[in-house]
Amino acid sequence: MANLTETISKTNQSKSFITYGVILLVFIVALVLSIQSEGPSKFPKVVTDEFKFTAWVNEGEDYLKKNYRWITKIIAGYIKEGYYFLEDFFLESPWLLVAAIFFLPCLISGGLKLGLYSLFVVYFWGATGMWAESLQTVALMGLSVLLCVFFGTILGILCSQSDRFENFMKPVLDTMQVMPAFVYLFPALFFFGIGGAPAILATMIYGMPPIIRLTNTGIRQVSKETVESATSFGSSKLQLLFKIKLPMSLPSIMMGINQVIMMALALVVLACFIGAEGIGGQVWLAIRNLDVGWAMEGGLCILFMAIMFDRFSMSFSKNNDPLPLDVQKFYLLPQSWEKYQIARIVEKPLTLISAVIDFICIKVTNSIAYISELLTSIFSKTTANDIGEFISKRYYVIPSLIVLLIISFVNSNIYEIGTFPAEWKLSIRQPIADGVKALTVHPGFIGFTKGLRAFVYLNLLHPLDVFLTHIPWWFTMGIFVAIGYFTVGLRFAFITSLLLLFIGACGIWTQSMITLSSVLVSVFLCFALGVPLGIIASYNERFRNIQNVVLDAMQTLPYFCYLIPVLMFFGGGTVSAVLATVIYSIPPIIRLTTLGLSQVSGTYSEVSRSFGGTLIQTLNKVKFPLAVPSLVIGFNQTVIMAFAMQIVTPLIGGKGLGLEVFNGLARSDTGRGLAAGIGIVLLAIIIDRISLAWTKKQRVALGLAKN
Amino acid sequence: MNIKKTIYSLILSSLLILSSLGTANADKRLTAAVADWTGGEITCQVAVSMLEEELGYKVKRVVFPSGTGLWEAIAAGEIDFACESWPSYAEADTVMMKGPLMYDGKSMFNYEGDGSVKLLGTTGIIGLSDYFVPKYAADKYGIKSWKDLNKHKDKFATIESGSKGRLIACPVAGWNCHDQKRLDLLGIDFQADELGTEAAAIAEAVAAYERKEPFLLYLWEPHWFFGAYDMVGVGLPDHKTCDSFTEANNWKDCGTAAWPATGWAKDYTFNYGNPETFAKAEHAKAAEFFTKMKFENADQAVMLVEVKQKNRDLKEVVKEWKDNNPEKWKSWIPN
Repeated sequence: MANLTETISKTNQSKSFITYGVILLVFIVALVLSIQSEGPSKFPKVVTDEFKFTAWVNEGEDYLKKNYRWITKIIAGYIKEGYYFLEDFFLESPWLLVAAIFFLPCLISGGLKLGLYSLFVVYFWGATGMWAESLQTVALMGLSVLLCVFFGTILGILCSQSDRFENFMKPVLDTMQVMPAFVYLFPALFFFGIGGAPAILATMIYGMPPIIRLTNTGIRQVSKETVESATSFGSSKLQLLFKIKLPMSLPSIMMGINQVIMMALALVVLACFIGAEGIGGQVWLAIRNLDVGWAMEGGLCILFMAIMFDRFSMSFSKNNDPLPLDVQKFYLLPQSWEKYQIARIVEKPLTLISAVIDFICIKVTNSIAYISELLTSIFSKTTANDIGEFISKRYYVIPSLIVLLIISFVNSNIYEIGTFPAEWKLSIRQPIADGVKALTVHPGFIGFTKGLRAFVYLNLLHPLDVFLTHIPWWFTMGIFVAIGYFTVGLRFAFITSLLLLFIGACGIWTQSMITLSSVLVSVFLCFALGVPLGIIASYNERFRNIQNVVLDAMQTLPYFCYLIPVLMFFGGGTVSAVLATVIYSIPPIIRLTTLGLSQVSGTYSEVSRSFGGTLIQTLNKVKFPLAVPSLVIGFNQTVIMAFAMQIVTPLIGGKGLGLEVFNGLARSDTGRGLAAGIGIVLLAIIIDRISLAWTKKQRVALGLAKN
Repeated sequence: MNIKKTIYSLILSSLLILSSLGTANADKRLTAAVADWTGGEITCQVAVSMLEEELGYKVKRVVFPSGTGLWEAIAAGEIDFACESWPSYAEADTVMMKGPLMYDGKSMFNYEGDGSVKLLGTTGIIGLSDYFVPKYAADKYGIKSWKDLNKHKDKFATIESGSKGRLIACPVAGWNCHDQKRLDLLGIDFQADELGTEAAAIAEAVAAYERKEPFLLYLWEPHWFFGAYDMVGVGLPDHKTCDSFTEANNWKDCGTAAWPATGWAKDYTFNYGNPETFAKAEHAKAAEFFTKMKFENADQAVMLVEVKQKNRDLKEVVKEWKDNNPEKWKSWIPN
């Protein structure tokens, strides 16, 4: 027995020894090849000359422009009307009405806390002087979310019903998410005009994938037993879908809506590039004027808006746990403060007020229900009953509508409320600008930034750049194909080689290697910074709470806002580009490290400790191996986000495929931009698939998932 | 019941949309792309305020980053006009415009594009680009012309440029500045670093100036930067054209004799618009106004200081100028 285990471990050992040996050998050969080559490796000229992808795309675009623009113009026309309608409504309404429109739903669904928060958000829009812009953004986002949800659920349902359709959609969805919006933003302009319509369509392309995915998984996750019992009661396939499966997957769909809102907000800033009005335009102007404070104010408008919508949509998918009757319910303060006298005193009047409001609401609603029931009963008895019942169930909605009506009535007939009062201004521009300026000239801080810049450039970015661009293309391709073969399989290896051939044949091999190297450096830095932060957060709850808030802010704040400070501190260039990428893409790795480590059940670590393992040992030998799948998912997301950021970094001196997209667009050369954009997508997809397959293997090895 | 309700609400909402359609059309309306750099914004505001206050137009302003997107939008008729384009930097002018560029009654250049965008007329602003060093650095190292740059290249070097000096170059590749080519032809041992956007280049220059570090910056006049910071030009050789330096000729240069081994040509900036819009009879006056407009560098420079250094509202500054200097603009207005 002992002998057997020994031999097994020996073969394992020799196996891993061989693996490492092969990796080392491959690396050395690559190093030798890259040192020997004189310039960056290039694809054979015959291939790049023959493969005129750029020209084909441009010809195709011209053809479409000539022949199909009238269709797209009609579609755009409809979207535009809808958008203008919403926009005009918001802009022409008195500010009190707008505030009530945000406040009341938040109050009803999320309680007093969310209600008060929504009032603060609305105040902030007005106080920073971005009232109109914020409302334009809300209108733009609202319409795109509506359309996303409508089409997204339909596509999601279709995916859930047909495996073939799902398989077809998967790469499409990947592409939609990773394809830089810049690539389709400008062609969209020609087909759909400027302003709201193309912005909404671009947002739909970018924001729809999560809702399609989550609808699909939500429906597929409905348990077999439920489905079987429904079928045994004789429900048809459609009934099964609409009466059982859809309602049961509602939480998942709500989650999707939440994600759509977040992604729509992320694209709103980019939308200014095609003339969509809103906060995006303000942030862009602020950046052109190097006004960090102004940009930050715009960013905060979006950030607060995002948090409001996030909490609002979350409050639908969450059901409150009812308290025992004898406990006084707290409306504003945390329930755990109940033991303090002061908290009870503060909450007392709130409880009273809420009781009064509840009473009024119920009375008003009931009387309206009664009256409308009486009125309609003249025509038809059954409809009257239906209507009465329908109204009387909506205690909060009906009174809210009445409040809104009263406000607009007062505004138009008695006293004009007008737009947001100018006296209530508040500005944080100056302090932020002063802060940034003070840091810019602070010798210690600048010494640190210069050191960091030199370190990253000399030790990471520059060597990797040279290494990757100088290895012959066939060798790099061979390595990718081999990795693809060993992790995923033969089919994927074949696809990988085709995708890489496409990149090479488009003549963007060097650029894509530069992009790859800056993504790798960014991801490495994310790892080096993010994993320790994640570990600390998994041990210390207070740290975790603070970190979560910061990460939320980092993910929602438009990346334009921190580009200028990064530039001022680090100077323009590839290093700044890498650092901006790190800021943007570090949150997932931190979050998932924390998640992975805290999910490892207590028993494992307790067992380890009882065997005398130290904290480090437990972490290193028990927790980390078990958290690996979660870590890899974090890694995976970080990689995708880093790739997505490559399209923005040329704005501050980044190189590679992103710059190629910009240059293509600057010369009105859609084909060139598209080829580079596709290059980014393909690299991202290859790396994504490989790391996902690797995770799956790990999970299987750990017994967490079935093969 | 449910279906009925949906149908009703659909009908109601479509009615609402239709009713809002009716109000969209009106006669004297134009859509303008407001430039996204301060000088251009001022020129735009001057033009727009003339159209609005003197010619009775209602102009819708759209923030639209300059670049090919803007040219496409104008060709497609989505935007009626845009202001202060610089010929050296206009990415699409030679492809899309047709006809002579007139300044002071003289033809400065003849465009031979497809005419999908109309050249409305020069703005009067004349732009000039050059390389600049901050005054403190020029004094400290005694840099008087571009020939002195090589001696001090190590002071201008960064981690990325190694032994060479670094030029914060013309930020956008599409602007066709050919900085690296110029540096190489003139034998200046510097590396041209394209940062992608004007904002990036200026941000870095501002930070370097605040820290009193030496830097070499590509920039153009009039620009608010000169009002805030003391800069000295390096005096490149005067501009001469080189006919062979085109993409069709595989960028064959003329050595040190001509472009790009020289400074830039004077930029007679122009306003441009959609040809169909300005061919209409009801817009004849607006078209005539654009041919007559002649805004001056000195005026823009003063207003740049007001807006950027004194943080005043741009519209207010333009209004003040307009009220105080009627003799300057009265002649632009068609009778």
